[in-house]
Amino acid sequence: MAETDTTSGVVTVEKVRGRSTITRCFFRYPLKLILPKKVGSSQVDAVWIYALSYGGGIVSGDQISCKISVGDGCTASVTTQASTKVYKSVDSKCSEQVLEAIIGNEAFLALIPDPVTCFSTARYYQKQNFRIVSGSNLVVVDWITSGRYQSGERWDFTSYKSTNCIYLDNDRPIFIDSVLLEQSLICDIAERMQCYQVIAMVILLGPKLKNLQNQIKEEVKKMMTVKLRPPTTNFGRHAKSEAQHDRLVPDLIASCSTFGPQGIGSVIRVTATTTEAVYAFLRTHLSSLEMFLGAPPYCQSGI
Amino acid sequence: MDHSTSKSCKNANHDDKSLLHWTQWQLLDSILPTGGFAHSFGLESALQSNLIKQPEDLKPFIIQVLDNTGSLFLPFVHTLNKSPDTETWTRLDNLLEATLTNEIARKASATQGSALLRVAASVFREIAELKLIRERFIGSGLVFFHHACVFGLLTGLLGFDGRMAQRAYIFMTMRDVLSAATRLNVVGPIAASVLQHEIASAAEGIVEKWRDRNVEDACQTNPLLDTVQGCHAYLFSRLFCS
Repeated sequence: MAETDTTSGVVTVEKVRGRSTITRCFFRYPLKLILPKKVGSSQVDAVWIYALSYGGGIVSGDQISCKISVGDGCTASVTTQASTKVYKSVDSKCSEQVLEAIIGNEAFLALIPDPVTCFSTARYYQKQNFRIVSGSNLVVVDWITSGRYQSGERWDFTSYKSTNCIYLDNDRPIFIDSVLLEQSLICDIAERMQCYQVIAMVILLGPKLKNLQNQIKEEVKKMMTVKLRPPTTNFGRHAKSEAQHDRLVPDLIASCSTFGPQGIGSVIRVTATTTEAVYAFLRTHLSSLEMFLGAPPYCQSGI
Repeated sequence: MDHSTSKSCKNANHDDKSLLHWTQWQLLDSILPTGGFAHSFGLESALQSNLIKQPEDLKPFIIQVLDNTGSLFLPFVHTLNKSPDTETWTRLDNLLEATLTNEIARKASATQGSALLRVAASVFREIAELKLIRERFIGSGLVFFHHACVFGLLTGLLGFDGRMAQRAYIFMTMRDVLSAATRLNVVGPIAASVLQHEIASAAEGIVEKWRDRNVEDACQTNPLLDTVQGCHAYLFSRLFCS
């Protein structure tokens, strides 16, 4: 993989004596990588990588680029210690994080960070490219909270853009998703998001995740069918009672879609009124990843 | 009938530009049988989630749908309108397939696009490419016939100018959401028409904001509506396909 002067981090995971091993780990300011040895059960072959930023956050103008390579048959989990805070923009500068990941055959990459929180007036752009083959396995959680919402800072940042692209066999795009939340005259972000304070996207892809994909699909369907009920016939123009207004919006909404050739992947989108609700959702529905990663995701976080 | 003598059928040399107006109006008319009225653009799901509680909530909802239509689909309409060739169309159609990660929206797009191409190939017989493309690719599995791509291609082949094509795409979306709103009893037909006129200015602003962009810049601007639209399949009883 070509490195440039702007590369902030490189991690290479390969099989050494039959076990997933980090054979290369390089990082420089503003990125810090920690490789703890005892995160998961030693029975499970997986390495864990914690990505941290100095000062606990991303400062205006920071440019962080990172490359991860997970070799054939290896498993790697990348996470954070706390939510990634993006501080206010100075001189309209945008902060940027770019990740290039290559996942080999029968390899497994789990990108399971805490959410991004953009402070008032922040500008942030994030791009994640995943290059896979048909036998690759991938879990990506990409999520954002509205800000320091308990202090009243809700969707107060200037601009947030997150792009996730998955390419099969080098150049065939099978998942291209770009979410742009930008204050605009047409509609400010807070109005768009209504009472919801968190949005999350979970990608599950690959043969090892087929069962989990099916399981989550059923669980989400079951959960949402209960929350969605047809409005009363007295809607709108003829509404006499306040009954319709009294019906609250669901505190968590989730939907699941398959994507890719032969439905190789699933994407679950979640939105909720609290961060805790999404942590609980992730903890519950991703718990079976413990068998691949050695530890269940999000069990130490957000409590 | 002898065309050369009948005055009413006298073959006046209408210039192409005048005739194009008739084509434009036909394409935007709701009687064109493209099945647009099977889709609610997430409105039905938003209603059942109680995100839309009263008729006043409809206007911001529609504006947000149009904004997202602009950011996500106009780049495809624009690029194909400029380059209405098979290679660009197949490439962009596959890209849009990857970009429409919401299964509900993806299937709706393919259904509407197929219907539009079918109608267009029958109606605009003077454009041989339409029938040829359809015959070549139907059932091949190589393309998905996504609506925005077919529309861009069609307007390019018909000679619409780019801004008009992009404005038309936003207009059609607004037309279809309003139609869904009346059928779902959110507003009556006159109120819907009032809204259509009220929203026109915001819609033009949306066209101006998102027009003429590259497909690499296509993005969605409303993850809440995207999540809610994705719930359409969970609705116990539903009127629309999406």
